[in-house]
Parts: sequence; structure tokens; C-alpha cells
Amino acid sequence: MKRIGRGIGLSFYGTGYGNGFPDVSRAKVRLLKDGNVGIYVGGTEVGQGARTIFYQIGSETLKLSSDNISFITEDTSLMPDSGTAAASRQTYNTGNAIKIACENFMDRLREVAKRELKLNSTQGLKVNNGKIYLEFFPRKVISFKELAQKQKGNVIEAEGEFVAQTVEMDSETGQGAPYWPYTFNACGVELEVDVLTGKVEILKTRFAQDVGRAINPHLIEGQMDGGFAMALGYVLFEDLNINEGRIKNQKFSKYLIPTAMDMIDLENVIVEDPESTAPFGAKGVGEPVMIPIAPAILNAIYDAVGVRITELPATPEKLIEAIEDSKEGRVVKHG
Amino acid sequence: MIEIQLTVNGKDYTVNIEEDKRLLDVLREDLGFTGVKEGCSEGECGACTVIMDGKTVNSCMVMGFQANGSNIVTIEGLEKDGQLHPIQQAFIDIGAVQCGYCTPGMILSAKALLDKNPNPTKEEIREGISGNLCRCTGYSKIVKAVEKARGYEDES
Repeated sequence: MKRIGRGIGLSFYGTGYGNGFPDVSRAKVRLLKDGNVGIYVGGTEVGQGARTIFYQIGSETLKLSSDNISFITEDTSLMPDSGTAAASRQTYNTGNAIKIACENFMDRLREVAKRELKLNSTQGLKVNNGKIYLEFFPRKVISFKELAQKQKGNVIEAEGEFVAQTVEMDSETGQGAPYWPYTFNACGVELEVDVLTGKVEILKTRFAQDVGRAINPHLIEGQMDGGFAMALGYVLFEDLNINEGRIKNQKFSKYLIPTAMDMIDLENVIVEDPESTAPFGAKGVGEPVMIPIAPAILNAIYDAVGVRITELPATPEKLIEAIEDSKEGRVVKHG
Repeated sequence: MIEIQLTVNGKDYTVNIEEDKRLLDVLREDLGFTGVKEGCSEGECGACTVIMDGKTVNSCMVMGFQANGSNIVTIEGLEKDGQLHPIQQAFIDIGAVQCGYCTPGMILSAKALLDKNPNPTKEEIREGISGNLCRCTGYSKIVKAVEKARGYEDES
């Protein structure tokens, strides 16, 4: 017999290292010899899409096509540190550092352009599409390429640093505001529990994630899909089975992770509410996307069969045992 | 050492290999096809998938000598004249690649499926790639990419 249940899970998650820990990202922007712009940044691409986001932020700030931007990353001898690709912090922290570095770089360009164009001031100088020009007299113009050729050994570059605001919690009371900013999310799940076999099948989900501003909706969907799948395995299958310090399920034939057949089509909802301290309002979503899924699934199991599972994974064996116990009126914690 | 002959991506090769060498290592080490990825080394994850005589195999589970006389396709064999294969292009267009480690195997499983069944249903696609594990994407965009590539043979 199969029973259907519905559950929801809500979470909020802090960006970056938090709790007063120094959280610093740096970037350097340089005019290259060919007139293109090099952005030097330590932020690491591991498939989450950091590099794409960096291109977008750099391109938008510099008002320059990404074709004219080179990203030089992941070589500590060439670039300043941008902290770890962890804590869902690259979009917000390193994104901010790139934006600041680009803005400083544009100030540098205006100063050099002032000299080259023999102007009295940098007032009214606009940087757009690889050119610096006087907004009210556009004939006063110099391109990045011309500027690069004229520099002869003088490098035009600027750095940017972003230090996140984070406050250590009170060690006595555990109170405080350890993170900023937070992202918020909500997940609803409808599932079916086979009360004879203990097998759980996800039927439908709706998953909403606050992202500040979705500067790349494709990548956000990818993170949401992946977070859901990872959480699904965490809740229902994945068990290291540690016995006296030894991992017994040390291979994929025993440690089961979801396959394409375990997943269903997800209904993802991207919620935009731009964050004032974020680059173009965007916050990172790497980790938060996994968090509300487990409570949503466990609440739906409770709704379906009336048992609370308090230790993961909620394997068929555990579910059947819990269902049997509840029939006999035993109140047992299942874990 | 034994000598084997095999065709990889349309080209014939003769190699001398140790008797206990896996096809995976022959392809990567002797022939340089590093698009074949080693994952779990026990036939569970599908990262080392190649197409052998029209069928997908985990190349970690095939001994080199067993591939003697066979015709093998790796990810390197899909691009033609600088043009990506429609499945590869669909993976890029849809954004089905994250860390990329499962991608070669995933695309080859998709190709083997579409070669056999040019217009699979969504469920058939999910089944067709179920031997390839992916930790990043949740499979959603991979399934969408294969759906997009469906029927590419009709168009070409």
C-alpha cells in the first residue's frame, strides 16, 4: 500500500566565513598590451560557474564586451588571493572585489586619459566599449588600444579589495549577528511511501531560492538542481556505515548516490530581491540550495505515514521499522 | 606483453600491452585519449564509458586484450571537422556541464542511446544515462540537453 504525503522545509543561510573571521577577496585589473583588459583573481572555478559570473561582473562594470576581457585565475604567483571557493562566497565576496578593482581601474584610465588628451580634469570622462571620451565633447577620445600602445612599459593597473562585514558571536550567550548577507529558501515536496517496502518516491517538488539578483539564471538553476539531488541522496540513500572507525560502504556499489532515474523534473523558482552590499545585488547560492530539502522530505514522510525519522538516511529498513513501531503504539526515536 | 589491434575514433592502432592492462589505461596511457576519465575503477560510476562495437562499456571493466579487433569511440571522436557533435553542442547550449568529470561518459551514453533510439522519451533518456553518476547537476539539464539533441540524425 502506498501513502502520499506533503512537506515543506525553510532555511536561511549566511554567506562567507562569518562569525568575525577575516573574509577578504582581492582582484587586480590591468590594461594588456593589445588593449584588452586582464582581470587577475584567485577565485577558483570548480564547475559552479564562478568564472562566468566574474566575466559578467567585470564586463558589466567596465562596460566592455567579455571578448575583450581575459581572466587570469588559479595561479597564486600571478594574482592576489580571493579566499577559498567555499562558503558560497565567490559571487558576493570576490564579485565585489572585481567590481571595486574595475572601478579603481576606470579611475586610473581617466587619469591617464586626462594626460593624453591634455585635459584639465577627469570630470566628464566616460569609459565605455573600450574607449575613454569626454561625454559632452566625444571627439576628445582615446581607445584602450591607443592607450596601451602609448604606455611603453608603464603598466596601467588597479587593485580592489572587499572585506566582508562579519561580527563574532558572544561566546557566553551564543547571540549576535555572525553573517551578512543571508539567503533564504523554501522547498515543498510531495512524495509516496510504500508502507510494505519502505521505498520513498518523490512525485513533485517546488523549490524557491532567494538569490539577491539572478545575474545568471542558468547557473542558479544548475545549483538548485544539483543541491536537490545531493540532498535527496543524503536523506534517502547515502550511508557511510561507519563501524569502529571503519567506513564499510566505501564504494559506489554500497554507498548509493542518486542516478538520473531517482530524480524528477524540478520546479525551481528564483526569487530576486537585490542585496544592497552585493555586486549588482547578487548573492551566492552554492550551499543554501541543499538545506531545506531534507526537512521537506522528512516532513512529507511524516505526513504520509505518521512517523518521525530523526537520523539520516531514511532507508527503507528504518522506515518499515518505524511504521511497525508506530502501529504497536511504541514511541521510539528512530535513529 | 601482447599485441592488440583496435580502431579508435576511426583510426587503426596496434599496441603492445601488458596482459593485465585495462582498456581504460590503454586508451589513456598508450593512445593518449585522456577524455576517458577514471572514476570509481569498479564499473559503478560510468566516468570511463566508451562505445565499443556500438555498445557502451565501462572501460575500467574491460581488459585491453578483450578489445582486440574492436571498434571504439571516445569523446575525442565525436567532433568532426572542427564542429562539435550535436549532443556536445546541446550540453553547452543547455548548461549541462558543471565540474565536467562525468561529461564525456554522459555524452557517449547519450550517443549510444540516440544511435539506437533516435527519439527516446524522457524516461528512456533517464534510463539511458542511469549508469553514469553525476554529483553536480542533479541530471536535470543533462536530460534536457539529450532531449534537445534528439533526432539530430534526421537533421544532418
